[in-house]
Amino acid sequence: MNEHRHRSRRRVIACATVVEELRPLLPPTVECQVFDFGLHANPDRLKQALQEAIDAVPVSVETIVLGYGLCSQAVVGLRSDSATLVVPRVDDCIGIFLGSDEAYKEQTSITPGTYYLTKGWIEAGNGPFADYEELVERYGEEKAAWLMDKMLERYTRLALINTGQYAIERYRTYARQTADRFDLRYEEIPGSTALLRRLVDGPWDEDFVVVPPGETITFAHFRDVAPSPSGEAANQQD
Amino acid sequence: MSEELISAITEMRETDALRIARDLLESGTPPLEVLDACREAMGIIGQRFEDGECFVPELIMAGEMLSQISEMAKPHLEEEEGEETAETLGTVVVGTVEGDIHDIGKDLVIFMLDVNGFEVIDLGVDVPPARFVDAVQDHGAEIVGLSGFLTLAYEPMKSTVEALQDAGLGDVQVMIGGGQVDEQVRTYTGADAYGRDAQAAVRLAKQWMGG
Repeated sequence: MNEHRHRSRRRVIACATVVEELRPLLPPTVECQVFDFGLHANPDRLKQALQEAIDAVPVSVETIVLGYGLCSQAVVGLRSDSATLVVPRVDDCIGIFLGSDEAYKEQTSITPGTYYLTKGWIEAGNGPFADYEELVERYGEEKAAWLMDKMLERYTRLALINTGQYAIERYRTYARQTADRFDLRYEEIPGSTALLRRLVDGPWDEDFVVVPPGETITFAHFRDVAPSPSGEAANQQD
Repeated sequence: MSEELISAITEMRETDALRIARDLLESGTPPLEVLDACREAMGIIGQRFEDGECFVPELIMAGEMLSQISEMAKPHLEEEEGEETAETLGTVVVGTVEGDIHDIGKDLVIFMLDVNGFEVIDLGVDVPPARFVDAVQDHGAEIVGLSGFLTLAYEPMKSTVEALQDAGLGDVQVMIGGGQVDEQVRTYTGADAYGRDAQAAVRLAKQWMGG
């Protein structure tokens, strides 16, 4: 009973793509609010949407877990008056799916021109591949093909991230077909649930930004400042 | 007439835009006037992009139109001047930083700097700090423009600024742009300024060169 009450004092606010990977790990008693992946294209709008969601959370909720990374600074400036905010200390969701920013940077240094896909992304239906049909409608087949070529000009690889949490065959097929269609090298890379597992339940160590009620998430949290262990507030400023 | 050109560009009517530009140039309209219209159109499109009213495909198409019109205008410019202008406002080295391959915005900045009288060295994408340093030294550039779209780009921007300083090129002015950059990112990277769009890049460059 105690655990049930304890868990419902936690809420998750996450991007649709992160939720897909988080779902298998979420206890049923934790409420999860999902935001459209497309919001990432307008960080200011995303920030606003997230702040509104945070403000609407009842005071009985002690911890709000954000299923985002720094995400073009959309999370910078967020604060809650009553709850602790927890965010993975990564640049964006690819870092979450790969388990760390280090793994992300490694992939980037090997093949910077990589378009990443996960089940969540594929199902969210956003991104240049999904937009293709719309482009054809608006500008015609020839122009659409030219535009896609231009947008993908510097990309050489389409990488499907497999976190091992679900049957991936269908997504593998889609990703392979997309890679072929748009002339990209297909590769499947292992993801990791290392961050995802700790996102909801902790421990929230230096891989997480933890901000107490009344305090604001800052850019420095993602760069210079290491949170103190066991989820206590990160308060030091340089 | 240039109003017509601006509309054609901002409405993504490529065939019309190229035809109007060609007609203007062949009927003796000063090429700089034609390029000015392009500049204005680009400003409108840039604002729409910022406002979320148009997206990357429109930027790409605009970039393509501008680039083709610029090519059309060049021989007319040379005719006017008699020879290619040796005078430039300054030299700017531009590139997308290491690990990042986004270049649509960068290419627009390059176009705008070019039509505004700067000599621009385009280093492309995924450019390591050392290449920026080499390019500045080789061309005697006064300004460096670092483009980066991913959040991951903040680190290589910082490394590039440091590399320039380590090479004794601390006098070179560095501007950053591309993704979500602001004062905090600027401070973090050590850059001299940040810009949200191509117009800002031109403004900064002109300011720095005393224009």
